[in-house]
Amino acid sequence: MKAILNTGRTVPQGEAVEHKASPTYRAVVSVCYMNPVDLMELGITEGAHVAVTSRTGRIVLTTWTSEGVSRGEIFVPLGPYANHIIAPETHATGMPDFKGETVDIVPTDEPVKDVGSLMEEIGGLRYDH
Amino acid sequence: MIIKDVVCPFCGCLCDDLDVEVEGQKVIKVQNGCALAEAKFTGSGRLPAPIRRTPTGWDDVSYDDAIRETAEILVAADRPLLYGWSSTHGDAQSMGVHIAELIGGVIDNTSTVCHGPSILAIQEVGHPGCTLGQVKNRADVIVYWGCNPTEAHPRHMSRYTTFATGFFVPEAQKDRTVIVVDTRRTESAEIADEFIRIERGGDYEVLSALRAIVRGKGNVVPKMVAGVSREQLFRVAEICKKAKFGAIFFGLGLTMSAGKYKNVRNAIELTDELNRHTKFTISPLRGHGNVYGSNEVFTWITGYPYAVDFSRGIAFYNPGETTAVDILRRGECDAALIVASDPGAHFPHAAAAHLAKIPTVLIDPHMTATTPLCRIQIPCTIAGIDAEGTAYRMDGVPIRYRKVITSSYPDDADILKKIHDRIREVQGS
Repeated sequence: MKAILNTGRTVPQGEAVEHKASPTYRAVVSVCYMNPVDLMELGITEGAHVAVTSRTGRIVLTTWTSEGVSRGEIFVPLGPYANHIIAPETHATGMPDFKGETVDIVPTDEPVKDVGSLMEEIGGLRYDH
Repeated sequence: MIIKDVVCPFCGCLCDDLDVEVEGQKVIKVQNGCALAEAKFTGSGRLPAPIRRTPTGWDDVSYDDAIRETAEILVAADRPLLYGWSSTHGDAQSMGVHIAELIGGVIDNTSTVCHGPSILAIQEVGHPGCTLGQVKNRADVIVYWGCNPTEAHPRHMSRYTTFATGFFVPEAQKDRTVIVVDTRRTESAEIADEFIRIERGGDYEVLSALRAIVRGKGNVVPKMVAGVSREQLFRVAEICKKAKFGAIFFGLGLTMSAGKYKNVRNAIELTDELNRHTKFTISPLRGHGNVYGSNEVFTWITGYPYAVDFSRGIAFYNPGETTAVDILRRGECDAALIVASDPGAHFPHAAAAHLAKIPTVLIDPHMTATTPLCRIQIPCTIAGIDAEGTAYRMDGVPIRYRKVITSSYPDDADILKKIHDRIREVQGS
């Protein structure tokens, strides 16, 4: 399924933002809010995992129902998961397209990675002392 | 001990009415604050000491060694990038600009991925804004456009708009009309008197249609504009024209969507049109506690609010070229100093990945998503918790952060001063 990725703040994201290595942070920013009809069209229920692919990356997220999200759109809280698939072009404004990336969504059984794994994928080394 | 009238450093509201209960050197309770404030003040998990990345892991390192090595990295770089600055106070921001000038680097702050486009629009057409006190006491029509204060600025509605009583609006919910414009039906939309749901990317069109109606040219508006009916647009335009005092607040729905700064320019020009009928103002909802301060401090010293490049020996500003994401995505910088922000979490990873390829130093109290990408991290105080200093509220009002606990961490301004002095020593100046 094709969709437009929207990102933004949520209260749980803000509460956990200074605990980036915590399971809580991972849980609240690796969520893919979807319209229930789109979930039904994918043949999955809330809580199932989806692989979301853009032109720059691929990420596994946990679905969550949201009546407020329009069909054909998904909402992912800002953070390392959304940014794993957002392109860095800024169209000469300095600002990437944080609200407008076209993505492809398919159901998957793959697990959601932790933040340390995402950062190691781009050349980092986790600090877990 | 209960400390009264404490300032919350989390978001741009800088709420200054918190009661913070302290036991020893730990905050145990926060009253009056939102969930974000409570998490901020009672949080734990700070990095205990400076760390340095090795080929296989991480070693602890002394503050002196970390500072010396940071200075050497910055002096050796041809194109250093200094980024962040919005979760700290003015003294640290100021010292950052001086370091950038000393080493001919580029210094950028988090407004680059927040309200940078709003600043570009303001530079084109001006800013008919006002303080939040004016809104609280006068505004009878509030418009939230492309923002969700319930989640991002949880007390904005209760302190200044929807639920706040003011001098000329004694019964808030009866006297104020709240309009929310968004592509999502958010929690903020649920409590609005009028919700305008627009199609993604339709902000510019809807703003243009409203401008036409307010200007008396409504006959050119079609039946539907980006998913919004002509009837609703006329109704909303009428509500705005009849306001005694209207206030538009906008968020990243305008700055991050297609059109970016042109969306904001159109919203400012709608405000201009409305001022031919009544008093109307417009202001961005700023995110980080002191992001506005980073724009102020950069501007005082360099003349520019963000994305300042000193490589020519003078301050040069060209967003799109000298902005942090663009410099990183081009792989242009050969060293980076990140202070009080987390580009590892909040930049597209295709750009943030460059931080891991170059010597990156992070000055931040917490283990963040930038920690795995850096070579050295130096922990410091948290502005507004164990360090005092000046911050700017989202409406440009300076407010003094208070120090509510004492810790053994050094202030980031002091760390930066030592780096600055060491650079001067190495340069022999």
